[in-house]
Amino acid sequence: MAKWGMVIDLDTCTGCQACTTACAMENSRLPGENWQDVLFYHEGKYPNVQLKWLPRPCMHCENPSCVSVCPTRATYKDPEGGFVLIDWNRCIGCKYCQVACPYGVRFYTDEKAVVQPDIRTVFPSEEGRQWDPPWKGPQDDPRRGIGIQPHGVVSKCTFCYHKVSQAPTGVPDLDEDIPELKEYVPACVRVCAPKARFFGDLDHPESRVNKLIADHRGTRLKDETGNKPQVYYLSGGASAAVPSLRAVHQDKA
Amino acid sequence: MTTATMDNKGIQMPILLVAGIGFLITAGLVMFNLSSQGHAAFNTSNNGLFWGFPIVVYDFFLLTSTGIAMVACFGFLFTGETFRPLFARSLWLALAGLSGGVAVLMMELGYPLRAMFLIPFSFAFSSPLYWKVLAVIGFTVCLLLLIWRARATQSTLDSLRGLTRLTLLFAILVTALAGVVYGSQSFRPFWASGDIPAAFIVESVVGGLAFVYFFTLLAYGFQANRVPESIRTVFAGRMGGVFAWAIVLHLVFVVGRTVNGLYGNVEGLQAWQYIVSSPLYWIELAALMTALVIMFSHALRCNILIQVAAAVLVMVGLFIGRYEYIIGGQIIPLFKGSWAPPVLSYAPSFTEWLLLVMAIFLANVVNSLGGVLGITRGR
Repeated sequence: MAKWGMVIDLDTCTGCQACTTACAMENSRLPGENWQDVLFYHEGKYPNVQLKWLPRPCMHCENPSCVSVCPTRATYKDPEGGFVLIDWNRCIGCKYCQVACPYGVRFYTDEKAVVQPDIRTVFPSEEGRQWDPPWKGPQDDPRRGIGIQPHGVVSKCTFCYHKVSQAPTGVPDLDEDIPELKEYVPACVRVCAPKARFFGDLDHPESRVNKLIADHRGTRLKDETGNKPQVYYLSGGASAAVPSLRAVHQDKA
Repeated sequence: MTTATMDNKGIQMPILLVAGIGFLITAGLVMFNLSSQGHAAFNTSNNGLFWGFPIVVYDFFLLTSTGIAMVACFGFLFTGETFRPLFARSLWLALAGLSGGVAVLMMELGYPLRAMFLIPFSFAFSSPLYWKVLAVIGFTVCLLLLIWRARATQSTLDSLRGLTRLTLLFAILVTALAGVVYGSQSFRPFWASGDIPAAFIVESVVGGLAFVYFFTLLAYGFQANRVPESIRTVFAGRMGGVFAWAIVLHLVFVVGRTVNGLYGNVEGLQAWQYIVSSPLYWIELAALMTALVIMFSHALRCNILIQVAAAVLVMVGLFIGRYEYIIGGQIIPLFKGSWAPPVLSYAPSFTEWLLLVMAIFLANVVNSLGGVLGITRGR
């Protein structure tokens, strides 16, 4: 049984947002409601300011707090692959999972549009979905939170379950450079131009993701929460593995 | 019916009419806004502020309801027939508060009807919300049974003791679990603490006492000469003392959390800097302190109108406190950057304010209906 995981090399990532765009196209996301995003932030004050960025998909944690708090078992850990998914037919939109997620990667999109004009009014859906984009993909699996997000429920990155779950059994890595496997590679990994993302089986001893984590001291975001993410970051010191989280008082900012 | 239990029916009908009309108007406006805009009518967002004003209102009403029930049950169990004139009214008031809170929650959830049948049968044992919903169901059933049993003319303290204890247990359980919902979020240090359930129970009792004072006296038109002697004695006597000490305990939690929060350097505790720099926080403290002075002074607390003022001050103080707690736990975003500022700004939308007004009207409809139907008179 695979335990799919991702490795993101922060020294290689250029912050181009191709992953964000690919994810949005693949999963018919509303503008600004990005399951996968690259967060930009700065540290320090002039003249010692650094611009940094952090790619942030759902961590598909081994011990996900979002799953623990869900009162209807709508969000669950898939035993075959280790995906954290949402059953939209069971979600009640209480947003407790959003509150409980330390990574801020869950989305309730019934609220005010992040990007104006509100594209939901341009492409309105008549099937209870948030919108009806003209370029939507064919995949639709509400029981796994795949497809166009319905009203009143929370959504999140699925690690492109609809692609990854179709991969041949036993493969250690899903690499876009291997022609017979490229269709199973998550969208964000497949389009990464500088090849900063790697996707593979964390339980497979021969997988490249395991070697990268071991050889380059892969770290997990907010590991102190105990959620045990299945996304690892590599950083040789040139970029921060984790952004500075210390809030700055507005008066001092 | 004795003089002591006699109700002022005259005032309940106008309240029922005004509250009924108010409820219909506000509920209609809320429904219209929600059906035309969806939850875009709220000012919550995916930037980090997921639970906004509707949850504040819901929690306030729920904890008020359990607090009133705790006051009623404690009062009846520990003072027996002395508390009898207030028992039925308090139980019904608890039900009224619960109805206001649940109505707001139904407006906030994405799928309220689905929630009603999915949560109880999901067996999501790891979720505090699952246990909380089960406890609320148990609390509601016990409350209804107790109201029904307490109305029976032959009911005595002995015959009601078991059910009263069970209702009290469920009221404490609901309140504590409401605390666990927040207190268990270990990576949100503003919320996370093992003492939150205890703090919620104390806060709930304080709110319960304030509401019992206010609505009992409202039933007599805030006119001292109409309030039965037995109620005046209870309010000015031991209950006043309990009210004062409950406020002290609540203030210990509020000030203690504030001081700890201001000392703390952990990410998320910076929210305290914003809270104490807001006039709301000082209004909350001033309101609670004033109520405390009033209730500690025997001379002052004998006056009906001053009792009402103290109750109102506590209600306002507790509501501000609830707002600060729920919003404060979310205003420091977990990830800051170009898309999220160091501190999120949030102010309730018009529809969110309407939900508060709607809940107040609905609770008053239910409460005054009890007066009109004679349910709050008890025996």
